Amino acid sequence: MNATIAAQMTGADFLKLRKKRGTVIWASILALAPLVIYFIVSAAQHSSDAAKHAPAGGTSGYIDGIRILALFFGPLAAIMIGTDAGAGDVASGVFRDLVVTGRSRVALFASRAPAALGVTWLVMLVGYALLLIGTYAFASGGETPSTSAVINGLLFTLFSTGVICVVAVGFASLTASRPAALTALIGWQLVASPILASISSLGSSRKLILSQAIVHFSPVHVGDRGGTIAMSQGTAIVVALVWLALFLALGAWRTRTMDA
Amino acid sequence: MDQSSSQPAIETHGLTKRFGERAALDGIDLDVPRGVAFGFLGPNGAGKTTIIRTLLGLTQASAGTMQLLGHPVPAERAQALQRVGAIVEEPRFHMHLTGRENLRIVAAVRGPETHARIEPALARVGLTERAGQKVKSYSMGMRQRLGVARCLLADPLLLILDEPTNGLDPGGIQEFREMIRAMVEQEGRTVFISSHLLDEVEKTCDAAAIVDRGKIVTQGAIADLAAGGGARHELILGVDDPARALTVLEGSALVAEARPDDEGIRVVLAGDPQTAAQINAELVRVGIGVTRLEPVRHSLEQRFLQITSRLDADLVPEEVKA
Repeated sequence: MNATIAAQMTGADFLKLRKKRGTVIWASILALAPLVIYFIVSAAQHSSDAAKHAPAGGTSGYIDGIRILALFFGPLAAIMIGTDAGAGDVASGVFRDLVVTGRSRVALFASRAPAALGVTWLVMLVGYALLLIGTYAFASGGETPSTSAVINGLLFTLFSTGVICVVAVGFASLTASRPAALTALIGWQLVASPILASISSLGSSRKLILSQAIVHFSPVHVGDRGGTIAMSQGTAIVVALVWLALFLALGAWRTRTMDA
Repeated sequence: MDQSSSQPAIETHGLTKRFGERAALDGIDLDVPRGVAFGFLGPNGAGKTTIIRTLLGLTQASAGTMQLLGHPVPAERAQALQRVGAIVEEPRFHMHLTGRENLRIVAAVRGPETHARIEPALARVGLTERAGQKVKSYSMGMRQRLGVARCLLADPLLLILDEPTNGLDPGGIQEFREMIRAMVEQEGRTVFISSHLLDEVEKTCDAAAIVDRGKIVTQGAIADLAAGGGARHELILGVDDPARALTVLEGSALVAEARPDDEGIRVVLAGDPQTAAQINAELVRVGIGVTRLEPVRHSLEQRFLQITSRLDADLVPEEVKA
């Protein structure tokens, strides 16, 4: 398979996802609405009592926004999009029609992740633009993040949501069921990961939790709610890569071997 | 010309597919020549869809060999499927996309040259005007036609259609039949149709195989199948003296078999149907009045029911038969 076909297949998968209004709209709401609500509420509080409440924007608003977008709601949106990309063909019954083209099943799987990343990152870019607008519009003359902090924040947002999205593609391809994958991954992300991370008796094995490895790269201090497990840069990279490789391999294996 | 182009469109030997202990396909030997509409007939659960899924690599065979368009599968599956279009069970689509977008998805997977076939394929099935609408607004008949358009993206030498007239109204069935015949007669494609609708296969196909309980019971040209293997020509005779007529017929070299029947005398001809006139002349010459002389038209349905009821009888345990 040459690069042209690979690009066309990714484009086709991108089309499928982009046109899935339900998924795109809800993923956008999930990623953007909390930011909007945060800035509106914080701005209202600041305007009612400036002495008690800091400005909604500025550096503190930006840090809170990164937490909201890159660590909490953005990954949930990435899971929505990734699971749709991973299980969409099977759910619609079109997978077998793609298989009978003779194209290798691994190639069919391989085009899903870049397409899902494209849609996820589009949503995140809109979210990040909103974050910057809020940060500067509601700074009230206070300190604002530096250019390098803005770039680091953007890269971290794309990294965080990208890793989760690709894992979701692989996991959904493995289960071949979007509802099952969606439930399991959101449960893992929102409930299981924080609980496991907080159980100190698990010791250094908690480094294996993906969200802990991702948080390691955060340009802003996450605090007690997020990453609390200290690990080296190398460990964090290895953990993230293992999660990616594991779920991509499992997804590819299932796509290759399942009855279509 | 590619060497594989002289090979049958589909060829299987001993093809077997097991689900646990149960054999869904049990040593299938199938030979589908090129340039014909070939019916694959069988009752529900006979193994029709399973053989299609196995041929297309949607599921793996347990044993046996198969070739599509001269290419062994699964070894050369990609090459074999390059010129194969298939609808397995009902055609499925991304409902949130338009008909044209659905074809774009498959064209992207098949390769760059396929995009140029999208509009001709839509035109071929009469969907150009509705191609910009979402598939969820399509009727079943339109989805079937879009399924065929999707097959045409491969510029297929072989089309494999699984129960293609399911859900179509009589007008849609007629249209579909005409389209299949045109593909065979005008475009030289091979069409493999699985169906449990005997009448449909009889009207659409040139040849057929009958499958039951995972085994090919018989295969051949439709007329031969209907006649019970080998072209068998029969007559119903009405005469004024049946006993004497039977004696004359049994002594005739033109007659292979003659026996009394509810409708008169059933005669199996030894030769071609034109000898009926000579038999009539023989009877008249000895003074027997012939009141009826009617060729028996065999239907595939009769033959199918004969075969499947015989198989049912074979399955009845001996103690029950006794």
